[in-house]
Amino acid sequence: MTNDTPGLPEQAPVQESPVRQILKFLSSMQLGIILLLLLAVISIYAATWKEHQVAISSVYSSWWFIGIMVFTALNLLLCTVERIRPTWRQAFNPRRVMKAEAIKRMPVNRSIKVKQAGTQPLERLEQVFRANRLKSSVSDSPDGQVLFGESGRYGYFGSVVTHLSLLLILLAAMFGGMTGFETRDGGYAGTIFNVPQGNFQAVINNVTLQYLPEGPQVRPRAISDVTVSRNGNVIKQGKISINEPLRFGGIALYHTTFLWVSEVTVSDPDSGTVLEQFKLYERDRYYMHEMGFYIDSLAFFPDFSMTGMGQPITRSYATTRPVLAYQVGYPNGKTEQWALLDLNEPQLVETENGPIVLTLNGFENAAVFNIIKNLGRPYLFAGSLLMVIGLYMSFFLFPRRFWAVFDSKSSSFLVGGRSRNKLGLESVFDRIEEEISKREEE
Amino acid sequence: MSGLIKVSPTGLLIENTLFILACLIYLLATIGYVINLFGKKEWGSFASSVLRVAFIVHTGFIAARTINVMRVPFVGHFEFGNLFIWATVLVYIWTEWRLKDKYYAVGAFLTPVVVLYIAYLTVIPKIFTRIAVSSAHNPLPPVLQSFWLKIHVSSSVMGYAGFSLAFAAAVMWLLKNGMEEKGLSKNASFSKTLAQALPQLKILEEYMYRASAFGFLFQTVMIITGAVWADYAWSRYWGWDPKEMWSLITWFVFAVYLHARFTRGWTGKRTVVLVMVGWVAMMFTWLGVAWLLSGIHSFG
Repeated sequence: MTNDTPGLPEQAPVQESPVRQILKFLSSMQLGIILLLLLAVISIYAATWKEHQVAISSVYSSWWFIGIMVFTALNLLLCTVERIRPTWRQAFNPRRVMKAEAIKRMPVNRSIKVKQAGTQPLERLEQVFRANRLKSSVSDSPDGQVLFGESGRYGYFGSVVTHLSLLLILLAAMFGGMTGFETRDGGYAGTIFNVPQGNFQAVINNVTLQYLPEGPQVRPRAISDVTVSRNGNVIKQGKISINEPLRFGGIALYHTTFLWVSEVTVSDPDSGTVLEQFKLYERDRYYMHEMGFYIDSLAFFPDFSMTGMGQPITRSYATTRPVLAYQVGYPNGKTEQWALLDLNEPQLVETENGPIVLTLNGFENAAVFNIIKNLGRPYLFAGSLLMVIGLYMSFFLFPRRFWAVFDSKSSSFLVGGRSRNKLGLESVFDRIEEEISKREEE
Repeated sequence: MSGLIKVSPTGLLIENTLFILACLIYLLATIGYVINLFGKKEWGSFASSVLRVAFIVHTGFIAARTINVMRVPFVGHFEFGNLFIWATVLVYIWTEWRLKDKYYAVGAFLTPVVVLYIAYLTVIPKIFTRIAVSSAHNPLPPVLQSFWLKIHVSSSVMGYAGFSLAFAAAVMWLLKNGMEEKGLSKNASFSKTLAQALPQLKILEEYMYRASAFGFLFQTVMIITGAVWADYAWSRYWGWDPKEMWSLITWFVFAVYLHARFTRGWTGKRTVVLVMVGWVAMMFTWLGVAWLLSGIHSFG
């Protein structure tokens, strides 16, 4: 900055302290734009050229990606703090007096001629302003009276509110992550599981499948009835299904998926004695330690059929012909040929350690739950809502300001306006002009 | 159109007829707008009326589809695409009405984009058989049976509509600017007529900005409602899924544009380029992610 007033000595440029310079850089819009572009470019790379899980582990969870996010948050915070005071001044201390020359230089201005000026022309224009929902006042200045009108002053706070909402969302996510936990559990009817992190116990009362009206070809909705207790006292009971979690005290139990559970009996082929009876989840393994082998559940077909190529499939989710595909394996890694087991049809199986009889006695459904504690959730929602409000204020609540003076020589109003929405400003001018001529005709 | 939902032959006939009719009338409106652009002023209001008729017929198609599938027709490429086209036309008609029919020229650039979207849903899958856009009448899987589906998809199509309108204005800006730079607008020729029909660069910039801001607000609502819904359905707000990420990328690009324009007063070619990049990102979110990447948004 230089002093160009003649006769005064040249002033040295004001040097800002390094701290101030750093703060200025960190709060700058340029940095904000660079960071946003950087995030966009990295996201394009990760989302397009990386496998989903690899992208999560090597990019989105990396220290440098989190670092960029932290920088963005810092930029947002400083930018917001820096803008609060000027925005406040801009919104609540507008310049009410303006010279005719300044009005003429405004991006949108018009000279509106009137037939009858009357004694107090600006007061009449003020009524027109008010009819157009403009908060108006007439001020005296050395150059004469100036009419000032405005609307949408809260629109000035749009960007501040949006930035604050983003910060709230980031903080809520951090708070939720630091104070919460996530685990996975579940089971079939009668299963009891403990969640020590949440200090509660849950009992699955039943798991049922609700078929859709379109038939069993469509994946049904699994509904689990669960009772949650803490220190022996029931604290919550309810149903869990997709889109309908069970919530209590900042903890939520979400339905993740449902599985088929087979009830299998292993018996001696000669005596018919039951050697073992167990429940086997889909894609799970059961070890018969004493007999030296294990049984893998490969798949469960509730409505079994075969393709022309000999591939087992299920035609629907209806339990018309339940079949378990299984495989016997040994600790040395050797496996037998996979086989199919029909409901209530005992099957003789030759193992390395002798023959056994396998029977599929029954089946039922099990549910898998994600158990999450997230105390940041309400703040996250509040931040999201605030963001929508902030964006609405920024882009749709246009602050509009008008200044008008009356030129008695030409008997016309000189009206100028400022707004981010110039197309909208033009239409307000049209309405003002129409209103003036309408009133004159009356 | 077949599927797991049994539709009566009459219902199917009504739905098919309305769809074909809407497509043809959209094409007619496009021709009208383009003729208007080349100096035939009277074609502007004609094209606008035809577009409104097409929109009504299209609304009829969506209503018929709703009755036939017994749910909101918001799922899958075909239904989403239809809703997106419908929203784009709705937003354009609204701007025409708001701006008192001053800028029919925008229609000459927006309706071809709409026709392009329609072609993607109808003709392109027939030529390129790898692109399978199914219009089968299928029920909603349980995960989509949620109140959030309506808000999430509605805000998504409104956001896309705003960005499409901004893209049309950006193309106009480039054309007009190119003509002015080369001095073509001063020649007593075809180019002069075209240049005169296009709104001033400042107005186009304003139009682009307003449309982008509109799209950005709805894109934000879409991301937020998607996150809230994901929390209910999948127990997490954000899964870094390709669709989620590309929506965010689109959001980032438009955030940069709006910031640059809003606070730094950026205008001209660099903002136009940003809007076009944003539109490409939006199109990739819709099409690229569906055909090139896999993720949990495979239903739409």
